[in-house]
Amino acid sequence: MQLIEMREAIRQAIDEEMTRDETVFIMGEEVAEYNGAYKVTKGLLDKYGAKRVIDTPISENGFAGIGIGAAMTGLRPIVEFMSFNFYFVAADQIISHACKMYYMSGGRFSVPIVFRGPNGAAAQVSCQHSHCVEAIYGNLPGLIIIAPSNAYNAKGLLKSAIRNNNPVIYLESELLYNDKMEIPTEEYLLPIGKANIVKEGSQLTICAHGRMVKLCLQAIEELESKGISCELIDLQTIKPLDVETIKESVEKTHFCVLVEEGHIFGGIAAELGFQIQEQCLDYLDAPVARVCQRETPMPYSKVLEKETLPTVERIVATCLQTLAIS
Amino acid sequence: MTQQEKPLDFYKVSHQTVVDALGNQTLIDCLDRMLLIRNLETRAEAAYQQGNIGGFFHSYMGQEAIQTSCLQAVGHNNWFATTYRCHALALLLGITPREIMAELFGKETGNAKGRGGSMHLYHDRLLGGFGIVGGQLPIATGAAFSCKYQNQKEQIALCFLGDGAVPQGTLHESLNMAALWHLPCMYVVENNQWSMGTHISRGVANHNYITYYLAKAYGISHYRLDGMDFFNCYGGFLVAYQEILATGKPVLIEAVGERFRGHSISDPGLYRSKDHLKERMERDPIVLFRNELFDRNILSEDEYKTMDKKAREIVVDALQYAEESAWPDVSTLEQDVFAP
Repeated sequence: MQLIEMREAIRQAIDEEMTRDETVFIMGEEVAEYNGAYKVTKGLLDKYGAKRVIDTPISENGFAGIGIGAAMTGLRPIVEFMSFNFYFVAADQIISHACKMYYMSGGRFSVPIVFRGPNGAAAQVSCQHSHCVEAIYGNLPGLIIIAPSNAYNAKGLLKSAIRNNNPVIYLESELLYNDKMEIPTEEYLLPIGKANIVKEGSQLTICAHGRMVKLCLQAIEELESKGISCELIDLQTIKPLDVETIKESVEKTHFCVLVEEGHIFGGIAAELGFQIQEQCLDYLDAPVARVCQRETPMPYSKVLEKETLPTVERIVATCLQTLAIS
Repeated sequence: MTQQEKPLDFYKVSHQTVVDALGNQTLIDCLDRMLLIRNLETRAEAAYQQGNIGGFFHSYMGQEAIQTSCLQAVGHNNWFATTYRCHALALLLGITPREIMAELFGKETGNAKGRGGSMHLYHDRLLGGFGIVGGQLPIATGAAFSCKYQNQKEQIALCFLGDGAVPQGTLHESLNMAALWHLPCMYVVENNQWSMGTHISRGVANHNYITYYLAKAYGISHYRLDGMDFFNCYGGFLVAYQEILATGKPVLIEAVGERFRGHSISDPGLYRSKDHLKERMERDPIVLFRNELFDRNILSEDEYKTMDKKAREIVVDALQYAEESAWPDVSTLEQDVFAP
């Protein structure tokens, strides 16, 4: 076992896959000589050289498309966005080309590419660097969406993503990069499309992904101190969604709270909630509840930033309300 | 490296040199391909009017010399990407008229199983007709990146775009990275004068000079070709192709022509006067090419008529094939959203 930060787990996944397969390369802003804006790609330039670790100009639509073209012609690119908020500039390439290509070409051209980088809020980076993008991607058939929550699943899922033959959106969180965890030293992969039951419990199901899993664990500690047993499901993959695992849990607990860092309207939680009512209506003893970002852009002030995002307090309060415990 | 001296001059090509290099039969074969394109577009248009083809339909009529000569110059063993005006390129790469027509009809035997339609045709080396103006530019650049990455020195990527894509940011992003990284990509602006109904003079600043100075700005070669003249296009494409193979660097080409139909089939072309179009059609690339072959005694009128008739028959057969082909089985609707 090794005790490493999540950024190192991601780096190891890239490193191992680049060693394993010469068609894998990484490109993005500052990934090479600067060693990555968040140091995820540290040391890769020295190890693999400028042919496979490529600094790009600030041309997100351009280099996202170059990645897609490379993927269609025999390579397996990893494209880093310094922030997923910069993907909006590259939206055409991802939305109209990468995610539709295999279908549109009658199965002739697959697009094995990973788009990765930090998603959602960091620390006071304001409106244009804090948006959660998974709900936007979620509406696009043809994309795989992965949101790791810790070093272990970050590494295992990224390795699977790089080997997958489809475009993968791999959403990291700047606020998790420093989190340490003990993970295996030997190679492992985790399957795409499988949720993880982080903690078993009997009275309430909580579903979350990415950084929110960490908040939910803190909320659960508080709820357990009140004698409430919670089951926590980490989606790990948002699309394809492992609805079976959620369904089994809700059928057991009869109560469900969904926690999402992104906005409430049309969010991943909205989709989850709908699928739960479709599949588990007879088992539910209360409406499915949501804790999401409020309907505002991300304000700069830390007081306001905290208010718009889900917090441990809001999660605890929503769980208690759902269970009708005051 | 050959650079033209004046930005508005066409690259100088001696027709005799092209005749000598290609030989009579190859020239006839090229005209034959242009006739097949023309016949396919003509018949497909009629099928559209009869309701057998839906959606958008963008005819390549009037531009046949450009891609036909280009493919003759560079061969098939490269990567290609083009706009939604993509029937000709698919045909030139060897996709059969039957397969194309079946795709236009939306049948299961179609080139993309009826999922792409008129704007999205493919071949093992054709990355697509692309429906977003300028969308294919970074992707073709990525194909050139692949050639370099995999050390395939005998291959390049070719990216066709319309004059309407010149103001798109993707052109500048692609030219910048291709020039910066020395990617073997041939960018071909097919200037048919119109981005839908907007004349290039109303959409592009300094429009007569824009591609020339773009190439200058990015430090790459530029060729301006007469898109109506097969010989001029062939000579220019060949030199540009050899330059890319030799230097590994991209080039920017502008082939100047005029499309003979509306932007798409539903466009009556009211923005363009009949006199203007008539004048331009006097330089029909097929007529110019044919007449030169007549003048040089390479082809007789009878032989030409036979070729045209044969092309028509091939397309009529394709129409029949498309009509008789089965619709896609609706149970396959959700297949192939993801690759295995």
